[in-house]
Amino acid sequence: MHNNDALPSAHTAAEREHIERITLCDMLPKVFAGENIPHSEIWLTRLTFERGHHYLIEAPSGGGKSSLMAYIYGARRDYEGTLLFNDRPAADLSISSWQRIRRQNIAFLPQELDLFPELSCIENIRLKNNLTGHQPEERIDEWLERLGIAFRRDYPAGKMSIGQQQRLAIIRALCMPFDFILLDEPVSHLDSANNLIAAEIISEEALRQGAAVISTSVGNPLLLHSAENLKL
Amino acid sequence: MTHDMISRLLRKNTSPARIAGFVISNLVGLAIMGVGLQFWLDARSLWNQKDSFLKSDYLAINKIVDASTMLGNADQDFSAEDIGELEAQPWVEKVGRFSKADFRVYASVALGGSAPGDSTGDATPARNMSTAMFFEAVPADFLDLKGSSFTWDSSNPDVPIIISKDYLALYNFGFASSAGLPKLSEAMVSGLPLRLTLASDDGSRRLQLYGHVAGYSNRFNTILVPQEFLDEMNSRLGSGRSTGVSRLIVDVNSPGDAAIAPWLASKGWEQAGDKESGAAAYMLHVVSGIIIAIGSIITLLSLAILCLSMSLLMEKNRRKLHSLLMLGFPVKDVARPYWHLTAISAITAGVLALGCVLLLRNYYLAPLQSLGAEGDGLVWTILMLTLLTLVIIFINSRMITRRVLKAWSK
Repeated sequence: MHNNDALPSAHTAAEREHIERITLCDMLPKVFAGENIPHSEIWLTRLTFERGHHYLIEAPSGGGKSSLMAYIYGARRDYEGTLLFNDRPAADLSISSWQRIRRQNIAFLPQELDLFPELSCIENIRLKNNLTGHQPEERIDEWLERLGIAFRRDYPAGKMSIGQQQRLAIIRALCMPFDFILLDEPVSHLDSANNLIAAEIISEEALRQGAAVISTSVGNPLLLHSAENLKL
Repeated sequence: MTHDMISRLLRKNTSPARIAGFVISNLVGLAIMGVGLQFWLDARSLWNQKDSFLKSDYLAINKIVDASTMLGNADQDFSAEDIGELEAQPWVEKVGRFSKADFRVYASVALGGSAPGDSTGDATPARNMSTAMFFEAVPADFLDLKGSSFTWDSSNPDVPIIISKDYLALYNFGFASSAGLPKLSEAMVSGLPLRLTLASDDGSRRLQLYGHVAGYSNRFNTILVPQEFLDEMNSRLGSGRSTGVSRLIVDVNSPGDAAIAPWLASKGWEQAGDKESGAAAYMLHVVSGIIIAIGSIITLLSLAILCLSMSLLMEKNRRKLHSLLMLGFPVKDVARPYWHLTAISAITAGVLALGCVLLLRNYYLAPLQSLGAEGDGLVWTILMLTLLTLVIIFINSRMITRRVLKAWSK
């Protein structure tokens, strides 16, 4: 029993519907409403993220970048304005549509990683990969090697260092078909060597899938090539 | 494997004590309800014994005999107003009048002697028992005459008679045992030919007939003959004076109706026959009702315990629920470990409750049957327990799904 029949498998991924662009129309976190917002390239404008491109969002702490990630990933709805997937308002999506998008269209690495500390490194990855059936085991092993955490494969995630956990979470985020990958401060705890490797792996996978990378940082950006820089 | 991992994650923090608390309280609640229902089902036949020839729930009503009626000061008969008032009661379907015989009746039975049809019958030194008696009749539509021999016409002169069961008991346990006479079963008595002598009040007209006991009544303390026979004999032997109505037969909606006894008492009337069984049946309903109500309250409380402990468990695991939803797991996958936990505990409690019912039933069934109860099947009890278990699982599953969705945002 590698995968359960009740769960969506890799076969459905072949016919999946792509999200070609994500458009923000006059969006603003509700908590900012009425405040004097300094000039932003994201809030209260019209901005489109296109599939296949790379975006780096730089923001000071408290600028709302984690909120933006949560809005696009459907975890939060406390914004004004409209968020469109292709031309469809994200606000109209049902719970099950959101869950499908999270398995087939949008990958997400939250800032707080959201790993399960009691599961081992590899179990954390398999939990997601068994759900999507997307990545072959060999590729996961290769990534673990390249990011230097293969020796922690069967170690409880909760006992790994923050930097190791961050690398584990990056691999887990890649274990699904996606059109966009949202990375919220993905390398905040990594040295520049590991940052480069992570950027490489993410770019490779995004290229393979023709997907967009949207990454945020407060000063230690993911070292992506030819990324469009946006300021919150 | 994925489900195993999810279960492992989400069942963490499960408190066996709380789950056991639910199973035990649910078991107690369901068992009490089950025993209450099963006992009621098993015992109710004790009070529902119907006379085979009676359609259903009839009462016989008469005025209470006291000193004033003995002195002839009060009228023992029901007036037309009395009957009208009775008919107006909500528990009354219809009212019938008992007709009385306007002639004298003597019956004799030959025990061990020759048949009364035999011309030498009187000469046989058999134990002849004879007695003065009386006849009454009720309208035919109060009797279930289908397939019964309780009819009479002049071409078939054998008279069918229905007597009170009490009369036979009186003979068997009172008279026969003290007089050294044999005890008689219902079937034996039914097989005995009765010689009836009917005479007009002044003795000028006499009639000899044969009869037999066609049935026994739990409900009427009287001797019933077919209405058409009584009418015919009244016209042949009667003095012609109209007889009043001193007894009524009443078709009621439900003989256990609590309104009947106080109303009758307020009129100074009484119900013949099974007054006690009416009260006992009423008590059975009330006590079973109380037991089932207590059981339902405990079951409800156990449902609350289950809901609370599931909520607590899910609240403790809320972060993990959130993380799993963030990974894109369908809601049903995330809720499943809790659904299973609920279903397993509720089914365990239900099955154990059924076991308790069976066990307790073992203890009471034999004594109950020796009292004459027929007992009943387990179908209704099993159905009730199954239904309640399903309801508990359903309510909890809904609550679990709602709780999962609450973990959508952090």
